[in-house]
Amino acid sequence: MTTDQPIRDAALTWAMATRAPDFADWDGFALWLEADPARAATYDAVQYALEEADAALAVLPEPEPAPDPANDNPPGWLAARRTWLGGAIAASLVVALTSVLWFAPGGETLYRTAPGETRLIALADGSTVELAGGSTLALEGARAARLEQGQALFTIRHDAADPFVLEAGGERLVDAGTVFDVRLAGETLDVAVAEGAVIVDPRGEAIRLDPGERAVRADGRFRLAEVDAAAVGEWRRGRISFDTASLAEIAAELTRATGTRFSSSDTATRLSGSIALDAVRADPQALEPLLGVRITRSDDGWVIAAR
Amino acid sequence: MAPTVPLEEAYLAHRDRLLRFLRARGAGEAAEDLAQELWLRLAAAPDPAAASGLGYMMRAADRLMIDRYRSERQARSRDKAWAEAQPGMADGIAPAPGPERDLAAREQMARVERALEELGPRVAAILRRHRIDGLTQRAIAAEFGVSLSTVESDLRRAYARILAIREEGD
Repeated sequence: MTTDQPIRDAALTWAMATRAPDFADWDGFALWLEADPARAATYDAVQYALEEADAALAVLPEPEPAPDPANDNPPGWLAARRTWLGGAIAASLVVALTSVLWFAPGGETLYRTAPGETRLIALADGSTVELAGGSTLALEGARAARLEQGQALFTIRHDAADPFVLEAGGERLVDAGTVFDVRLAGETLDVAVAEGAVIVDPRGEAIRLDPGERAVRADGRFRLAEVDAAAVGEWRRGRISFDTASLAEIAAELTRATGTRFSSSDTATRLSGSIALDAVRADPQALEPLLGVRITRSDDGWVIAAR
Repeated sequence: MAPTVPLEEAYLAHRDRLLRFLRARGAGEAAEDLAQELWLRLAAAPDPAAASGLGYMMRAADRLMIDRYRSERQARSRDKAWAEAQPGMADGIAPAPGPERDLAAREQMARVERALEELGPRVAAILRRHRIDGLTQRAIAAEFGVSLSTVESDLRRAYARILAIREEGD
């Protein structure tokens, strides 16, 4: 089998993607195939080779090393997943009852970042929190935290017996093995999951967020939306996204992320989109073409207005 | 529960899209025949409600094409083995698994085993969990306590190795 390496790499990527039970991009796959008849043949050859190897794999003796006793689920544990989730929720209830003590003054550590600054916090259990600019996070040990303002990306080592609990804007979030991003701006709370799952408000609505899912609380109610799981926490790579955000909200986000002061009194004009911060840092007026707005200089920063 | 569209109605509604997909997958002039074969498979599905979803149908169409490739390939190698063993005999008769085929299977197994050793225990275990036990990448990440991207790159490495050893064998 001699095939064009780029085609084979792409065919392998599609073979991996289509294997996921929730794969949905069949049209995208068809478009890729249609561009060159050699692609379908290569994809078939890749699938065939992998399935041939499965036959060998299935009869070879299984290697011993179990990853981690705590996570060593017996085969077929997927079938029991719901029960296990129930367990996670139940465990979080216990945490909820004791949380009054958890946040008692004295035991917590406060982390604060200036606008434009980011900070990586390593927790004792190997979990990490990356704090975005203009944010405040209170940590109590390694398994409880409270986001007071701003945004943070949590990469949490999961322990079903001791779930990580985050409070943000009066809401309680419980992880279930997780990379998730939380943004709190005023009363708006935005939770997006990249890996694992997060349970929002386990005592009440118990909204489960899986990778690629996002819950936004505005006006006291949660709205569920989709998010590109790969884009969760993208602010770490100097990019921020807006989803029907008002110009006033965008100005506040930009201030927090860049450290340059932006303001806007416009709460009616709403925009969606994504911006690379480098361009904005270099020249705030670059926002004009990027967002289709007008940027003017003010005494202490920049004013964003609708065009 | 939402009312489900009857399977046949769903199939007819998606038929053009499925045909296009089959053609993209290399069905060529056989696309109509293969669409018919696909329908027979769908109609025989254990859960008609699930089978009436577009995703299920697309996956079944993909499967159909992989199976077709497999049977063509195996027919070719059978023909080849047969022709080599008995020149001048009629085509299309499957020979009993002979010593050559046993040998090929053993060689393949040895190659896979060697590849797993090279890949190391974690990658080998992840590959097995995904391919044999059918766990999703996400479930594996949770089980092994590694990130989703680690699982993905481990699998990609394993696959690349498997494809490479296949080429050695061909």
